[in-house]
Amino acid sequence: MKTLIKTGALLASTVSLAMLAGCESTNSANEGFKGSLNAVSQTAVDAKASASGFAPLAPLPVSPAIPADNKQSDAKVELGKLLFFDPRLGGDASISCASCHDPSQGWAWAEDFSRGYPGTVHWRNSQSIMNSGHYPGSFWANSVTSLEAQAPSAAKGGVAGNGENDIMTARLALIPEYRKRFNEVFGDDYPRIKNAWRAIASFERTINQTDTPIDRYLNGDKSALSEEQVRGKALFEGKAGCIQCHNGALASDMEMYNIGVPPAKRWEEDGLAQITFRFELYAKGSNEKLYRTAKADPGAYFRGKNKWDLGKFRTPSLRYTMYTAPYMHNGAFYTLEEVVDFYNKGGFDEEDRTTGWPKTKSKQIKPLGLSDDEKADLVAFIESFSGDEILMDKPDLPDYAPMFTLEELKEAKK
Amino acid sequence: MGIRATKKRLLVSVAVGLGLVLSANAQAASKYPDIGPLPNVKINKNKAELGKRLFFDPRLSGDAAISCAHCHNPEKGFADGMALSDGYPGNKHFRNSPTVINAVHKNRWNWDGRLGTNLNDVTRGMLTEDYIMNMDMRIMQERVKQDPVYVKMFKDAGYGEPSNGSVRKAIPEYLKTLTSKNVPFDTGKMSASAKKGKALFKGKAGCIQCHNGPNFTDGKAYNTGVEENWDVFMDTDRHQAFLAYTMFMGVENYNNLKRDPGAHIHQHNPDKSDMGTFLTPSLRELTHTAPYMHNGMVKTLDDVVAFYNNGGGEDSNKDSRIKKLGLSGSEQKDLVEFLKSLSGDPLTGDKYVWSEDYPEEYEAIENWRQVKN
Repeated sequence: MKTLIKTGALLASTVSLAMLAGCESTNSANEGFKGSLNAVSQTAVDAKASASGFAPLAPLPVSPAIPADNKQSDAKVELGKLLFFDPRLGGDASISCASCHDPSQGWAWAEDFSRGYPGTVHWRNSQSIMNSGHYPGSFWANSVTSLEAQAPSAAKGGVAGNGENDIMTARLALIPEYRKRFNEVFGDDYPRIKNAWRAIASFERTINQTDTPIDRYLNGDKSALSEEQVRGKALFEGKAGCIQCHNGALASDMEMYNIGVPPAKRWEEDGLAQITFRFELYAKGSNEKLYRTAKADPGAYFRGKNKWDLGKFRTPSLRYTMYTAPYMHNGAFYTLEEVVDFYNKGGFDEEDRTTGWPKTKSKQIKPLGLSDDEKADLVAFIESFSGDEILMDKPDLPDYAPMFTLEELKEAKK
Repeated sequence: MGIRATKKRLLVSVAVGLGLVLSANAQAASKYPDIGPLPNVKINKNKAELGKRLFFDPRLSGDAAISCAHCHNPEKGFADGMALSDGYPGNKHFRNSPTVINAVHKNRWNWDGRLGTNLNDVTRGMLTEDYIMNMDMRIMQERVKQDPVYVKMFKDAGYGEPSNGSVRKAIPEYLKTLTSKNVPFDTGKMSASAKKGKALFKGKAGCIQCHNGPNFTDGKAYNTGVEENWDVFMDTDRHQAFLAYTMFMGVENYNNLKRDPGAHIHQHNPDKSDMGTFLTPSLRELTHTAPYMHNGMVKTLDDVVAFYNNGGGEDSNKDSRIKKLGLSGSEQKDLVEFLKSLSGDPLTGDKYVWSEDYPEEYEAIENWRQVKN
């Protein structure tokens, strides 16, 4: 319930209904939705949406909810920005958060799998941190419930940052500027690593985009969407049925589904990716049978080891997707056109490949019968969830300095 | 153990019989396990060969940049020739890299002696320590499984499928092959000066009080007053590793430490009398492994002998046995000659070194969808 309460706070209307739907959606309780909402008024869509158990699309609030135990301040955000770009928060001090969440790559990584720690490759697509402060959880399986918990998981994961608390803490202590800033922001004598994650989370909560065409449109500027996009919106909320999961202010219900994304072909061709695939099965806890036989990402299964969660992943937000290709948990599709084609075929790619976990594939995913024009309209509408690209230069990072002078060292009693 | 004990008794009685009991210290010498040749160890050839390939393989570190051999280089007597070792990229180490030659003949490892079980644990410790090789062993296992050469070698070695457990067995098996070879002291081909030095070692100089047994170490930690190497603190790359280590090992007030705590790191004597104590190093292979001491502060063997002749360095915890020795110039020279007689042939060449290339990329497993992981 905790995550749902957080989500609920973001929704402009139909909060309680959305929450109830959220409780049930992993068990496909939304199947009552028939996707027959063609060309009806926004009010009617809203009403129907509520009745069908999902939130209507909504403008994104200007800033996300701030957790009571990690209040924002300018100094904290500024510290978080430095830390976000600082490669010393990682194993060999060569990659930072920004390495896999690169502002110039949509605050993500523009390849199918995230680049991973040197000597490795990740096994999932790097998700943009854009608007992530609004998310009730993080990672493709929603496996953590806060940005404060996401940061250390990423910084310490073997195919991500591969850092350990002790050496990362030690590095922070050797940077006088950080000692000063952690003291000012958190009152730390020496920087505590937990506070590094809190500062990074605060910084991430400032990386939002709220002035997209869809936001302007939903706020009453009917000229914000082109005719093509308006038609796409009707399809999105009607014939194409996207709104069943891509709803609310994030255009995501943040729930888990298996929509039929085929396993990454890269696992068949790339030895490094095969290593990581087995490592993840091993590290996340598989029984012998799963370890030996899995050929697709078990996804949300690892959270509760329930077989009905096999191959399920969180509905991604559609915001900022113009800049975050490729798409899906394994980066299977490089263009929005491919994504729409995939859905139009009922969750099959151009080679008719689908999920490696067919038993859990959502019944909501069916052939849509969209014409080429309709598909183009839908793509145009999805693009309305993105505004201008938001870029950020890497800040100048503070240097290490010895803790002691030679005189202080020599004076120490032996 | 049985064989070793028998040999020791034999050697002690020979020594006594030869009338080497020359002084008070020499009488004391009989109290200590005598110096002598190292025992033979049985080696499984296939396992050792596998361990050799693993030892030189940089893919056994987190970012695949360094192998065990990076700090235990055969060209440098399986040490690295530097005062303080490199460690993992992103940081540097805060201690001298000890040779792994004869490591199999020790019963306690690391300068602080924090590992006292077996080389399997030492291997795991060095691979996984974040400032040394920073390897997640689960990733290591899957890397090894991805290399067909390893798959065959593990099978041939009787380990079956590659696993991180068998990596930790194979590397120690290889380390068994790194035993001193053709050592003048062992073969008896010592110069007259070295022989005089040997008598001093066991007698007037009192070295044998700690440097005893076939590997010239009692496996215990002492403070001899070796000067601190300030690079540990002044070089932030080293200091960060030092802080990570002291933090992890639970030393209080680690941020304010201005000296290397040594064995205190795991002994935690409440009175801190174990601060700055370090394990007695073996004296074998010294000619290949300069500089000396836990922090490389002593550059030559002449300096080492001069250091002890002066009664060691300054330290409130200095062991009471470290006193001025009153050795003459020629006695010091004899002692150095004896120390040199404890080094054998360099362990280089294909017998000891894996010289074949490693694949630059991991080959994909064919028919991946059809075969079991």
